[in-house]
Amino acid sequence: MELSRRRLLQAGLLAAAGGVTAACGGGSKSSGSSGPKEIDLWYWAGGLSDKVVADSVTHFAALGTVKPSVIGGDFKQKLTTTLAAGRSLPAITGIKGEDIAALLPQAKQFVDLNTLGADKLQSQYLTWKWKQGSTQDGKLIGFPIDIGPTGLFYRADLFEKAGLPSKPEEVAAQIKTWDDWFEAGKQLHGKVPKSFPVNTVQSILSAAIGQNTVRFIDTNNKFVGDQDHIRKAWDTALKPLTLGIDAKINDNSWNAAIASGAVAAEVGAAWHGLDISSAGPDTKGKWRVAPTPSGPANIGGSFLAIPAKGDNHELAFQVITWLLNADNQGRGFTDASLFPSMPAAYKLPALTGPDPFFGGQVTIDVFGPAAENIPIAYEAPADAAVSAPYYNEIIKVETGKDANQAWNDAVSQAKSIAQKQGVS
Amino acid sequence: MRRTGIVSYWRQYLAISPFFLVFVGFNLIPVFFTLYLAFQRWDGLGDMKFVGLDQFKFLIHDPTFWLSVKNTIIIWVLGTFPMLFVALIIAVMLNAGVRFTSFYRIAYFLPNVTSLVAVALFFFAIFSSSNGLVNAVLHLMHLPQVQWLQNPFAIKVVIALLMSWQWTGYNAIIYLAGLQTIPTQLYEAAQLDGAGPVRMFRHITVPLLRPIILFTLIVSTVTGLQSFTEPQVLFGSTASVNPNSGGPGQAGLTMMLYFYHQAFDNNDYGYGAAIVWALFLLILLFVVINWRLVARSERRERVR
Repeated sequence: MELSRRRLLQAGLLAAAGGVTAACGGGSKSSGSSGPKEIDLWYWAGGLSDKVVADSVTHFAALGTVKPSVIGGDFKQKLTTTLAAGRSLPAITGIKGEDIAALLPQAKQFVDLNTLGADKLQSQYLTWKWKQGSTQDGKLIGFPIDIGPTGLFYRADLFEKAGLPSKPEEVAAQIKTWDDWFEAGKQLHGKVPKSFPVNTVQSILSAAIGQNTVRFIDTNNKFVGDQDHIRKAWDTALKPLTLGIDAKINDNSWNAAIASGAVAAEVGAAWHGLDISSAGPDTKGKWRVAPTPSGPANIGGSFLAIPAKGDNHELAFQVITWLLNADNQGRGFTDASLFPSMPAAYKLPALTGPDPFFGGQVTIDVFGPAAENIPIAYEAPADAAVSAPYYNEIIKVETGKDANQAWNDAVSQAKSIAQKQGVS
Repeated sequence: MRRTGIVSYWRQYLAISPFFLVFVGFNLIPVFFTLYLAFQRWDGLGDMKFVGLDQFKFLIHDPTFWLSVKNTIIIWVLGTFPMLFVALIIAVMLNAGVRFTSFYRIAYFLPNVTSLVAVALFFFAIFSSSNGLVNAVLHLMHLPQVQWLQNPFAIKVVIALLMSWQWTGYNAIIYLAGLQTIPTQLYEAAQLDGAGPVRMFRHITVPLLRPIILFTLIVSTVTGLQSFTEPQVLFGSTASVNPNSGGPGQAGLTMMLYFYHQAFDNNDYGYGAAIVWALFLLILLFVVINWRLVARSERRERVR
């Protein structure tokens, strides 16, 4: 087995070399307490507006040096590793919306921003978003960057072809609930057979769960994934499948489906409009957006935080509040499609301008009210892990599994995951 | 004056030491650390909590884990045995004095050094249900189209094909090296006795190549059971809702992908560690089975 051993060693060497390089990358930051103050700022590509970040460097030049780094790869992983090591931590770091719940139990790793004066700014930001970045005992860990209010994206031209109302306000008037929506969808698919109103039941499930004030685990750390509110979301999500209006697109062929018009409508967050426009640039001007049937939900949106072991907390907090003030949130929307977490920004020209991709529609008219009406829901640290079986099982129904069996399997798996994660 | 080995060769040992130091630091210690982790509950940041055998108890009753074991084994079988057979055929043909052997060798080896992510994206485009090349060809031949990336079995076939495409050349080159050590006199003698090519292949090539076949089988087992990048790239890892679930019906969820999902998406490092140790045991089991099968028939061969 000469060769095998050599291969093993080679593989080991490669892996080790990779490790060394990565370690060098993380360890190069030094922050002297003497001399000019350094503010290392970690974010991911598209997490903040690069232009606003560049301006922050000149804006704070007199007070200190803002050193932005765009961290590639698995952002959460790199942040967790650095936090665990407890050294070379940045003064400011981004935290993605899907990771915040899991990081809140580690509140001691971060500065409670309320101690730096964040509590005075609270009224300017959306309440539910503020709560999402706070621990249950009221420490603010994540300062709101952006949010993802949902809307109903639809192809106005195909709606017209199907004899449905096509103007956003008409659609809003006719389609108020999921049932209204599926009814309209039936008509659409009937008249334009190659087009579907729903891309996959999974996207309905995630929106319908987000419309509740309770998710899978309640504030008493009790598993509630087997209760009516989840079952109702599950049943709602499966209706389009029963009605035969589900396109069953649960892989990356979604891009092609958008371009060809096979997907004629979709419930998604505000930033999803960017995905649609890059998947189907030729459909420009044909899309519109209406309020989400049965009310808005939130998908995604991130935070900035100050690691406790980082340097210059006060200056770091100043930088954060500057990066995320109303004007810069408006610029973030223009540059990087970051939907502002501050209602004052909704009146800025950056947001009130007509969007040519949506046929000149002023989309803030839909997303603005949606943003302010998103229900406040407690997201437990184990929420993502516990919710996984529901998403996996509902896709299995799409590919032929019995719906009741799938529900029972999802609940029993979620229960045991919850138990393992220390949920009662 | 004689000095003991390690002292008299200290320069040589010093010269090779960097590798071993790095190996110990970045491979050996982490391996034992995962064994320690498998008995803890740890989210990567907070305090570890000793939970005894809880992670393994959960593992045994976790249907998703068993699904990942099943997926891994099916993909491995689909991706290994046809691949090794084709590689052997290619090697025999290359050895039979084709022209431009070096060209073929390079051509067959090329997939092995191509970036796996690029290959996976390429396969994705080829097997895409709505506008993929494979379905277009099937359509032209008036054959029914297959939902390659949706049907649970087709998903496994695609992943296995991807692995085969990447490793066939590598194994063919290894076989070719083995074939060149077989003395040509044996073939000449067999030819004089009137043996045809198939008979020579079965009674000269395969028996004499047995150690090489065992080697490729073991390497393929070790790499094949650890398939991770293929399903990860094919079935989107960027989703914020339920990432790395292994595609529709979780049909592409291999054990490595499940480990990654538990450790790095769910921050359940203890459970992740338990999964990789289960994977280690599975690989060990398969290697031993391979070894026994091939070694036993070798013994039988000798007795005969």
